[in-house]
Amino acid sequence: MHLDRKSVKIVVAGGFGTGKTTFVGSVSEIPPLTTEEVLTQASVGVDDVTGVEEKSHTTVALDFGRITISPNVVLYLFGTPGQDRFWFMWDELAQGAVGAIVLVDTRRLDSSFPAIDYFERRGIPFVAAVNRFFGECAYTEEEIRGALELHGNIPLLWCDARDKSSSKLALIGLVRHAMSRMPVSA
Amino acid sequence: MTDDVWDGDEAGTGRLVPLYILVNGRTSPRAHDLDLATQVFALPVDTRRLEPEYVEIVKICANWLSIAEIGAYLHLPLTITKVMVDVLLEQGYLGIGSPAQEEIADLRLMEQILAGLQQSLNARD
Repeated sequence: MHLDRKSVKIVVAGGFGTGKTTFVGSVSEIPPLTTEEVLTQASVGVDDVTGVEEKSHTTVALDFGRITISPNVVLYLFGTPGQDRFWFMWDELAQGAVGAIVLVDTRRLDSSFPAIDYFERRGIPFVAAVNRFFGECAYTEEEIRGALELHGNIPLLWCDARDKSSSKLALIGLVRHAMSRMPVSA
Repeated sequence: MTDDVWDGDEAGTGRLVPLYILVNGRTSPRAHDLDLATQVFALPVDTRRLEPEYVEIVKICANWLSIAEIGAYLHLPLTITKVMVDVLLEQGYLGIGSPAQEEIADLRLMEQILAGLQQSLNARD
């Protein structure tokens, strides 16, 4: 029995230290929560956990928050695990998601490559959001687009992950982008 | 269920029954539409026959709560949370919302999300 209650997901991705947890915390209506997934020995063979072979299990932490959209729709925001190697968690987060915000730190553009690559390959709608937290950006939009090898149809936004309104605008930008990719027949 | 004394891995967690016994050795939920964002809520059913760990889940689901929130509040790993929620769904203790991992092909839902975000932006606190 499925009752009239809907969850929607948005993934907040980006390299280590790009401000994912800050972003989730600034827009969430509850203090951000952390849930854990335990990888047991059985999954070690299939997941790339190079370097942690000696441990019998590894814990992957996920930070998330929520925004109530309407009396029966809740939006959940999930930050991707800090370690890029836990791709299987990304798969669960991304499945059926509205899309993803890929946070970008202009001092370390390359740290956001894996996230961009991930969503691009799977055809999941995403926007790149330059986190202004790290100070004035010395690059132009063209330069950042070029460095990130962003396709022309992927929006590049600017935000301050610490600021609620700024982060919400990034979410709005993502939803608009995802809608623009949907068939208009309905 | 068992009188065995367990002093293995979980002894340090203060948990008396190892999690795999609580879930009858299940390793994955039966229902495949259980996503970490799927929401459930407690149905008005007598929970006296349930193990305390299950009662805790039913208790915190007085209002709709996602699997991820249940895991976070009760400090349970996600997979265990999913399996336990699945057991409770199967036995009629919980009701379930729409699966969260379905492809969103509904423009009206997207418009609703957009409107909700814009509204919360205007009503900034």
